[in-house]
Amino acid sequence: MALTNNYQQADTGSKMVHIGQDTSSQIISKGISAGNSKNSYRGLISISNKAFGARNYSQCDSLLIGNRSNANTFPVLNVQNSTAKIEHEASTSKIGEEQIFYFLQRGIALEDAISLIISGFCRDVFTELPLEFSAEAERLLSLKLEGSVG
Amino acid sequence: MNSNVPILKVTDLKVSINEIEILKDLNLEIFEGQIHAIMGPNGSGKSTLSKIIAGHPSYEIKGGDILFQGNSIMELEPDERSHLGIFLAFQYPIEVPGVSNEDFLRLAYNAKLKAENKDEIDPISFLMLINEKLKIVEMNPSFLSRNVNEGFSGGEKKRNEILQMALLDSQLCILDETDSGLDIDALRIISNGINKIMTKEKGIILITHYKRLLDYIKPDYIHVMQDGKIIKTGDFNLADELETKGYEWLRN
Repeated sequence: MALTNNYQQADTGSKMVHIGQDTSSQIISKGISAGNSKNSYRGLISISNKAFGARNYSQCDSLLIGNRSNANTFPVLNVQNSTAKIEHEASTSKIGEEQIFYFLQRGIALEDAISLIISGFCRDVFTELPLEFSAEAERLLSLKLEGSVG
Repeated sequence: MNSNVPILKVTDLKVSINEIEILKDLNLEIFEGQIHAIMGPNGSGKSTLSKIIAGHPSYEIKGGDILFQGNSIMELEPDERSHLGIFLAFQYPIEVPGVSNEDFLRLAYNAKLKAENKDEIDPISFLMLINEKLKIVEMNPSFLSRNVNEGFSGGEKKRNEILQMALLDSQLCILDETDSGLDIDALRIISNGINKIMTKEKGIILITHYKRLLDYIKPDYIHVMQDGKIIKTGDFNLADELETKGYEWLRN
């Protein structure tokens, strides 16, 4: 998970190298960009020629907050074994004025609306974390985003 | 409450977006127990009016005033207006991935309770409350565990709006083309739901293109909007006249 705000630029990512047979891996990356920030994800999936039946699933979702933020995804797949199965999915969504207005109209305050949308966005990751850590992570996220939408 | 004070009073409202005038000196008054229907061709400003009353930030208000129960709401944020008792059922309800309908509804309900200085409701009591409300729109409880409007059919989205309307129990409800895109059964269920929610303390504005909704929910007044103004107001029979003659005959 990566979060950027104001004028921050983040360039983060993950590498997964498959060497052995029947190995499998999964990458879920969630990038949130607020303010004027740029958030880039780089992923390398490398499957060696010995890694028969290797599997990888990568998912890369970006969430933009406001009109001035930016998100990029650079996936690289290096596959040397034709029996490997590789999947990559990416999505970009945006918290826009209309979405915020919908929450406000229902009487939900701005900060609560944003934190609800964000924790919904990160749900796949949070559910994998131990309880204490995921509660902490949610709180940190809302703290970091305070006053970022206006 | 004094029933001589209208729930909603719009006076000489002038609104523009990007310097294009959308509403021109619009006037409207709604009293307790009344149902008003607003009809009119596409682009006449009906949806704009509903969004302005709810407090959408994109529009520039050039003049006029909106009074809710006698007090101006022009300076209030959309969530404050919601707490006062203004509800807008969206023409295109927004999808919120990853947020369950139940959480969303509970948050909205608790925000309202908080604004009224009442204690928040716990999730179990809330579940009992919402199950009662689900019956109004004949919805299956499995709706609650799905994400807000995500993957809902057109009819399910509109039903979800009416569910929220039932839950929040607002005094003024504006329904922006809630009947568009509904099949006959869904229209009947939604209309019945609205009739059940309506009381003599409330006011409803129905924005619609079709007379068939008005057959189910009988309005006290029908207004026809054209070029940002209400050009004709009549009773229920106006709908019949419009159905046969179209909007053209009002232009001259």
